[in-house]
Amino acid sequence: MIDQIVLLILAIVLFGVGLYALLGKRNVIKILMGIEIMTIAANLVFIALGTEFETTGDGTFIWFTEFALVFPLISLAVGAAVMALGLALVINNYRHAKSVDTDEMATLKR
Amino acid sequence: MSLIVWISIVMGLAILAAIFAIESKNLMIAVISLIVMNFAIWIILLMFEATLLAWIQLIVYGGGLTALFVVVVSLTENQKDETFDLTRTTIALAVVAIIVSLLIWVVASHGDITIVGDRDPLTKFPASIWENRVTDIILQAVLFLATSIAIGVLFLQHKKKHKEVTKS
Repeated sequence: MIDQIVLLILAIVLFGVGLYALLGKRNVIKILMGIEIMTIAANLVFIALGTEFETTGDGTFIWFTEFALVFPLISLAVGAAVMALGLALVINNYRHAKSVDTDEMATLKR
Repeated sequence: MSLIVWISIVMGLAILAAIFAIESKNLMIAVISLIVMNFAIWIILLMFEATLLAWIQLIVYGGGLTALFVVVVSLTENQKDETFDLTRTTIALAVVAIIVSLLIWVVASHGDITIVGDRDPLTKFPASIWENRVTDIILQAVLFLATSIAIGVLFLQHKKKHKEVTKS
């Protein structure tokens, strides 16, 4: 049986990796990958905090609350939409600026 | 081996794949690392018995978004490598270290974690969907992954042909 704290620590480390990509990288594709990793980490926290363990004579059972069931699904859908929009913007900007570097994207007028 | 050892291995794999995806110079290898990370998360969720979420996560992130990433990387391949910026990296690492250590301290020092919400009839709803449509969802997942890989391969072949035509 997985302990909740294990899942929470995994989520925190993944969130840190995503945050590092967001702050430290200039390639937009890598920034989007960081956002995806952060979304997955947030989903893991939802699942970890909305889970209840019950030990009976027959064994240990896991119960998921409505919190753990509904929020990750919504988060997955919104995250996928955000990523699709972000990648579409990357392609559109690449056609104009010929680069995926955020520093070069900062110039709006060309 | 006990379950906790397997969980530690899969967790380590997920974290390493995430770091490799961020740090890799080649974007296509970064996308492959992202797929590995998604599979590791899928295994962890299956171990946690969050079966429906595990499959949906694999279909949406491991399949759909990976296909989008492959397409975008193929379309934007002629670009110069990102140069190493020491100041930016140091500041980012410092911020991440502070936030992550704070969060781990909060979680570790809390002891018993309270659970939000109550047991609900909703719990039975996704479970019943899962039990009745298990084959459907597995087939859809396999089909989606296969389609994603096919789209990626087609794009790469198209790019290669385009390059050869331009050269000749």
